[in-house]
Formats: sequence, structure tokens, C-alpha cells
Amino acid sequence: MDFNTLILPLLILVPLIGAVLTLFMGGNRAKYANLVALVFTLITLVLSLVVMITPVGELDKFNFTADWINAGGLKMSFIFVVDGLSILMVFLTAMLEVLVMAFSYKQSDRPNYFYALLLAIEVGLMGVYLSADYFLFYIMWEVSLIPMYFLISWYGGPRRHYSAIKFFIYTHVASLIMLIGIFCMVFESAHLAGSATVDFSFAFVKQWMAGADSVFQILVFAMLFFGFAVKMPAVPFHTWLPDAHVEAPTAGSVLLAGVMLKMGSYGIIRVCIEALPGALGSWQYIVIAIGLVSMIYGAYACIAQRDLKKMVAYSSISHMGLVMVAMGAAMGGAAAGDANLVKMGIEFAIFQMFAHGLISGMLFLVCGTAGHNFGTREIPLMGGMAGKVPVYAAFMMFAFMASLGLPGLIGFWGEFGIIAAFYQWIEPNGMLYLLVICLLSLLLTAGYYLWAMQRTLFGRLTTKLDFAHVHDVDRVEAVVLGVLAFAIAIYGFWPDLALSYVTGYAQAWAVI
Amino acid sequence: MDASIFTNIFGYYTAILPMIIMIIGAMVMPAVYMLTKKRAAVTAVSLVVVVVSAVINLIMLHYIGTMGDYIYLGGTSATFSGLFVYTSFAGLMIMLFQIVAFFAILVSGSSREVTKLHFGAYGALMLIATTGMMFVVAASDLIGIFVGVEAVSISSYALVTLKRADPRAAEAGVKYVIIGGLSTALTIYGISMVYGSLGTIALDGLQVAFVAKGWTWGLVIGIITMIAGYGFKIAAAPFHMWAPDVYEGAATPVSMFLATGSKKMGLAVFFKVFLVMFIGVTAVKVEPVQYLFAIIAAVSMTVGNVVAIAQNNIKRMLAYSSIAQAGYILIAMAVMTPYALTGGLFHMFTHVFMKGGAFLIVGALICAGVGEKISDYNGLARRSPLMAFAMMLFLFSLAGVPPLAGFTSKFVLFSGAIYDGGAVSTWVWLAFIAILNSAISLYYYVRVIKAMYIEKPAKGTEGKLSYPKVFAIAIALCAIAVVVLGIYPNFLLEPCATAAKDLLGVF
Repeated sequence: MDFNTLILPLLILVPLIGAVLTLFMGGNRAKYANLVALVFTLITLVLSLVVMITPVGELDKFNFTADWINAGGLKMSFIFVVDGLSILMVFLTAMLEVLVMAFSYKQSDRPNYFYALLLAIEVGLMGVYLSADYFLFYIMWEVSLIPMYFLISWYGGPRRHYSAIKFFIYTHVASLIMLIGIFCMVFESAHLAGSATVDFSFAFVKQWMAGADSVFQILVFAMLFFGFAVKMPAVPFHTWLPDAHVEAPTAGSVLLAGVMLKMGSYGIIRVCIEALPGALGSWQYIVIAIGLVSMIYGAYACIAQRDLKKMVAYSSISHMGLVMVAMGAAMGGAAAGDANLVKMGIEFAIFQMFAHGLISGMLFLVCGTAGHNFGTREIPLMGGMAGKVPVYAAFMMFAFMASLGLPGLIGFWGEFGIIAAFYQWIEPNGMLYLLVICLLSLLLTAGYYLWAMQRTLFGRLTTKLDFAHVHDVDRVEAVVLGVLAFAIAIYGFWPDLALSYVTGYAQAWAVI
Repeated sequence: MDASIFTNIFGYYTAILPMIIMIIGAMVMPAVYMLTKKRAAVTAVSLVVVVVSAVINLIMLHYIGTMGDYIYLGGTSATFSGLFVYTSFAGLMIMLFQIVAFFAILVSGSSREVTKLHFGAYGALMLIATTGMMFVVAASDLIGIFVGVEAVSISSYALVTLKRADPRAAEAGVKYVIIGGLSTALTIYGISMVYGSLGTIALDGLQVAFVAKGWTWGLVIGIITMIAGYGFKIAAAPFHMWAPDVYEGAATPVSMFLATGSKKMGLAVFFKVFLVMFIGVTAVKVEPVQYLFAIIAAVSMTVGNVVAIAQNNIKRMLAYSSIAQAGYILIAMAVMTPYALTGGLFHMFTHVFMKGGAFLIVGALICAGVGEKISDYNGLARRSPLMAFAMMLFLFSLAGVPPLAGFTSKFVLFSGAIYDGGAVSTWVWLAFIAILNSAISLYYYVRVIKAMYIEKPAKGTEGKLSYPKVFAIAIALCAIAVVVLGIYPNFLLEPCATAAKDLLGVF
């Protein structure tokens, strides 16, 4: 066994070991907990970089397979696979973990548990993105949930208990419905294959599911899609998100928006689109419709928010709606046999996931910093802050501009590509008026960000804040925000850095 | 070494060797207490008895294929002519009952809820009840089952009322006796009707006679009254009203014994009688029976979970949750496939550890002076971090959160409703109800976890807790089992599959 095959399991094991270690660093040792946790996230980041520098064509060499449960007619295995779809998510997870770990160095209330929970979330996230066995995938999916529940309910804001339990139950119900979908899919595959043992691996299901009855595929798609759409979250399943985000500690929000929401869209591409080709044609319209509604509703709701963090939370719904639209376009392309459209849709869906991961991470750090440094996140209480906290204002402007799709930054390429793909999808369908919705939502996005900036950063200096306690970003916060800003700018200037990973994966799709 | 050591010495009595040892233990127990006057002595001797019996059972289970004819008590021509048959199903279930008895006896001696007087009788009753359960799973006809169930019932009436200082125990005892009497009457009435209709009470003859004679009104009444009678034993809705009162009133080790042991015996009866009788029958319509079980399962889990939300007493909450768990296991009765039965058996095992563990924690905390209300658990994580952590494991496992044992067993059990060996089955709706119930159950389990981890302890109760060390040992064993069975279930899942096939094939 060479070292390469061990990297993927290590991506999960390293944070796990780190989580257990930091868990026991209470009392006097608490002051080292942050350092230890940071070291473990850095090791994970280095491991993910080892994967990143490998040419996309050679990613197969990292595949890891080991037997796990093989009893009672069931066969589950430890299968870890990385490909063009998951590699960016793995990198994003590893990077954001390092950044939030550094950012939350000031955590004083039970710090050891805090860092352990952050690392435990990384275990679940890495597991979701790497596993290629439905049993393992589901376990990892749930594993990411529990630490987030505790993170919100221990360290969150005033309404944390309500939000945490709402988040937990909402997403747990969704994943249970998804579990039924997985059952149906896996057992039907075993039935079609005529095999006595039920194999839970992705490859087995993908192989046999393509030949299943299309009505069956459509029904299974519904169950799986529900599970994933709640996580994304798509309107009308989004109500847990604003609550969870507003109450979560900053580090939790960053991970929640940056990588946890991506679990939903990742699942739709990985499971719904990959394994159920027969359902794509019928579902494309609903997926597009949900995407458009999420985009416009999220953007519209943003305008009304008084809390910066809540505004950013709703903007996440809007931007994940874009991803949904891209996936819908790709599904339409797959159903119509338009290889170019499939490639474009998938490619930019993944790119937008990556872009939104970076941008929303930065946005939530900015909002969190406002909460810590100014003592409030309420927009009406602020005003003219740019003069008092210039560095902070620069970062905030940068993050907002990136999110509204300023050309030259990463957000632009995602929106640009997705709208191009969407145009290709509606052209043969003759529904050009739908473009208006898209443009309207982009307009609204620009509107709420600019308006929020105007009310907080510019204008007359507010009298409602006690400026004795207001301070600008400290050095660690500046570095963390700077790293993210750098990444956003670099990938915006040279999007091919990220797209090159995705293209190979999308190309494989275009063949079908 | 193989099982010939046993068969050479005990001949045809090998089939009930584990039970014989338990009975001998039960008989000497009062004498042990009378001579030593020490609860520790009774505990130690009973544990030795259970462990010896368990080792013998494991050896027999391992060599079951090589023991041939000896697994029938009395051979095929003797007086008892195969009244008790040791199958791998029986062996597996005996193992389960011994695990339950082991935990219950281990902690009883140190629990302050268990009366000091009559502790010899207490130990003896525990062993007799366990033996009764073991006989039930080994019986090969309805009378054998009936007698075994009665042995369990009568001993457990006494066990429930032995917590004499608490008036709730007396109330629970009275309720239990009356409901138990009703259950017995219904059962024996049902058995007589079945015997009248089919002309046999041998479990392996029931299906043949049923196929030959079809449905008659006598049989319908017989089956329904039997289901009702044994339905009381497993506390499935609508026969569940006694369970919360009894579990609340009894000493916690006894509650644990009833919830994890006695209930599993009832479920084993369902599997042995009805599943074996109806499975695979196509000549006569059996769908009504399947739907009857499906409805009982669905109602049980829904009633159990919904009512559990409203409970403030943790023992009552656990009681309602175990009504729901019985509902989950009854899915196997509705689906009637070996695969679903595998899931049912596996879930019975994991349920022993998670529900047993939760009851043990409640028992340990009562000894430490913590009340039974959920609000008494506020801030438990600060007062006793390990107890709180173990309780969280058990509750998450009961709710079916991966990667714990409860998840893995529910995974197999619920997928049994979807997979009947062929295409996706018609019982998907039952899986839906079960899974939605799982989600509901999460709500009240999380409420306890929230109390333990998030709330602050009430004034005057901030101190660290001290509880008898044996509780810690038993809870640790359960917690390890819950984690290990969740992550690596192979070694128990495979025997469950074998036992399921054996049960449905032998007869």
C-alpha cells in the first residue's frame, strides 16, 4: 500500500484525532488548545494540497477501498474517492477550517470544546465529500450535523436553543427522507443486478440505476432532492437557515455557509444527477423554478433585513439559487442530449459553489467582526463607520463587491457562466422572459449590498454607538480576511485555476 | 473441544442445559442469602450462574450444527417428545436474555431502590424470570410458550412490587397483575380456539394445518385474541397503557429488566408463532394479518413517540419510547421476510444496550440522589460528565443517529420494509412512517440532552455526583456495545441473519 491511497482516509482521520485531543485540553491546557487545533487543520490543508497539485487525470491513484460490513446480505465498504467535483470542496473545507480556527483564537468560553467541535465538523464534511459508498456517505452526512448543533446551542446568540433544535430537526428529517431514497435506489439496483448481496457503493448503484424504470427514478429523485434541497437550502425549505446563521458563532456561520450548504448541491450533482439519468428530463423544470424562486426571494428578503448577518444569510439562499439554476440547466442539457450545455451547467455550478464558499466565508467573517468589534450588527445603528474603522471598511466593501459579482473577482465568473448556461437552456424552450427574473435578482443583489454599505460605512457618523469600545480589525482578523480576499481576487483574475479541476469532471459528463 | 462433552453427559437434556443451570441457581439463591445475609453474596453467585449458563449457551450456539438430534429434549420418541428445541434462533435469544439478566443482577445489589429484605428471593425471581424467557424461545409448541410466559409474568409481578417503600410500586404491581391476568386469559383462550380450528398446537404444524384448512371464524378469533394477549406483553399500542405506570413504579433495575428482557420475549413469541405460521403462505390469503401487524406497528410507534414528548418523568419517557421501539420491531411482522426479521433481531439486541443503558443511568442517578424528572437532569454534564456523555450516546442511539448501534439496526430494519428480496416492496409507506417517527423521537431525546448539556444545574445541586461503581461498569459496557455495534456490526448481524433463516427454515 503506497502513501497515496492513505491520503484520503487521513483527510478524515487527522481532524478526528485533532478533535479528540483538543476535547481533553480543558483547564490549564486550554491556552494551547487553539494552537493544537490549528496545527491539525494545517496538516489537513497540506494533505489536501497534495491532492490539489496532482493532475486531474491522475486522481484515481488516491482511491481507497477497504471492507467494512459484509453480513446479512449487506455489503458496505470504506470507499474514498476524489475527483474533479469533490476536490474543490475538499480544498475549500480544509482552507476555511484553518481560517476559522485562526480567527477564533480569542474564544474564552470552554475553548477546548469549541475547537473540538470545529474539527468534528471538518470530519463530517470531508467524509461527505470523499466517500463513495452510500452507507458511509449517509453516516458522514449526519456526523456533520451533531457538532454543528452543539456549536450553535453552546456558543450561539440569545435565541440559540430554538435555532439549534430547529436546525437539527429540520435537517435530520430531510436526511431521513433522503435515506429512504437511498434505500429504494440501492435495493432496486441489487434487484436489477440479480445479486444476493446488496452493495452500497456509488459505482454499483450508478451502474444499475441507469436501467431502472423512469417513473421509479423520478420518485426516488424526489426523495433525494428533498434531502439535498433542505440543506442547500432552497425556498421553500430555507426557514432554518436565517435562524441558524444569526444565532451561530462566527466560526460556525462561516462553515455553515461556506461548506455545509455545499453538501446539498454536491449531493444533487453526485447522487441525483449522476445516478438517476432517467429522472433529469422531468425534474429540470422544477429545479429551475426552485432555483429562480430562491434567487429572487433571497435577494428580495435581503433588502428588508436590519441585521447584517441575517442579510448575508438570505444572500446565501439567493446565491445557492444560482447553483440550482445551473444544475437545472445541466439536467435539461442531459435530457436533450446537449453535451455542451451539460458541461457548462455542471462546470459553473461547481465553480459557483466554490466561489460562494470563499465569498460567503468572508462575508460572515466580516459580519462576525462587526458583532465582536462594534458590539452590534444592526444596520440602523451604524453609519459613517469608514472614517472610524478604515481597514474593516475596506474588507467589507471588498466582500460585498465580490458577492454582487464585480467583474475581476471570483463571484463574477460564477454568475456569468451560470446565466450563459441558463440562456442556452431557455433558448430552445422559448421562455426568454425568464431571463428577466435572473437579471432582476442580480439587480436586487447589487441594490441591497450598495444600500447596506451606504447605511453602515458612509454618510453621517452614527451617534448610537459608543465609540470608546469600537475598534478596528486586529492583526489576526486582518490576516484571515486578507487571505480570503487574496483568494477571491486570484481566482477572479484567473478562474481557470479552479475551472481546470472541474472541466475534466464535466467533460466526462459531456460524453454521455 | 466440541459439544460432545455436553451431549455425552446430559444426553437429550442438552437442549435445556442453560436453563437447568439457571434453575439450580434460582433454587439455591434464598439459601445463599439466608446463610450469608449479604446482598453482595447473592449478586456474586447469581452472576456466576448467569455467566456459566451464558458460556454453555455460547458453546452450544457455536457447535449447534454438530449436536444433531440432541438438541431436541427427549429425542423424538420420549415423553417430552421435542417440547423444547434448541435452534440458533433460541440460542441467540437466550444470549440476549442472559445479557439483560447480567446487567440487571449486577446493579441490583447496589441500588438503593431494591429492597434489602428478601434479596435472596429477588435474585431467585430474577433468575426464574430469565429462565422462563429462555424456555419460551426454545419451546416448540404453544403450551411450552404459554408456560414459559407465565413463569416470567408471575416472577415479574413480584419483582415490581418488591420496592415496598414506594406506594407507586404497589399501584404498578396491581396494574401489572390485572393486565397480566387479562393477557393470560386472552392468550389461553386464543390458543384453545387455534387448537380447535387447526387441530394442532405444534409450531411446526401450524402452517401446514393453516394451509389445509384456511380461515375459519374460530381461527380468526383465536389469532386476534392471541395477538392481543401477547400484545400486552410487548406493550404495543393499543395494549400499552400499563407499561409507563409499571416502569415508573418499579425499581429501575427491574424496569430495565422488563423493558429490555420481558418485551423481547413477547416479540420472540410473535416471531416464533405468527411469522412462522404465516410466512410464505400463498394458498390462503394472509395479507389481512400483515396489514393488522402493520397497523399495530404504525400505531405503536406513533403513539409511543408522540406521547413521549409530553412526559416530564424520564422513566415514563423511556417507557413510551420503548413502546415506539416495539412498533419498529413489529415492522418485521408486517413485512414477513427473513431480511426484515434479521433487522428485527438485530434491533432487539441494540435496544438492549441503548435502552438498558439509559435505564441504568437513571438507576445510578437515583442512587446519587437525582430525581426522575427531566428537569432534575439540568446541568448533569457539569456534575457527572461521563454519565451525561453516556446518556447522550444512548439517547442519540435510540433516535437513530449514526454511527451508533441504533442507527445501524434501524438501517437494516427499516430497509427491510423497502426490500423484500425483489423489487422495492409495497411496504415503503411503513418505512416512511417509521422514519418520520424517528425524527419525532429525536425531539424528546434532544430535550434530555439539552437539559444535561445546556441548562444550568438548579441551586443547591451543583455538586459532583457519586454513585455505586458497579453502575459505572455496567453503563460503560453498554456504551462500548452501542459504539462498537454501530461501527462494526458484522459479528452480531451475521448471527442474526443465520438465526432468522434458521427460524423460518427449520419449522
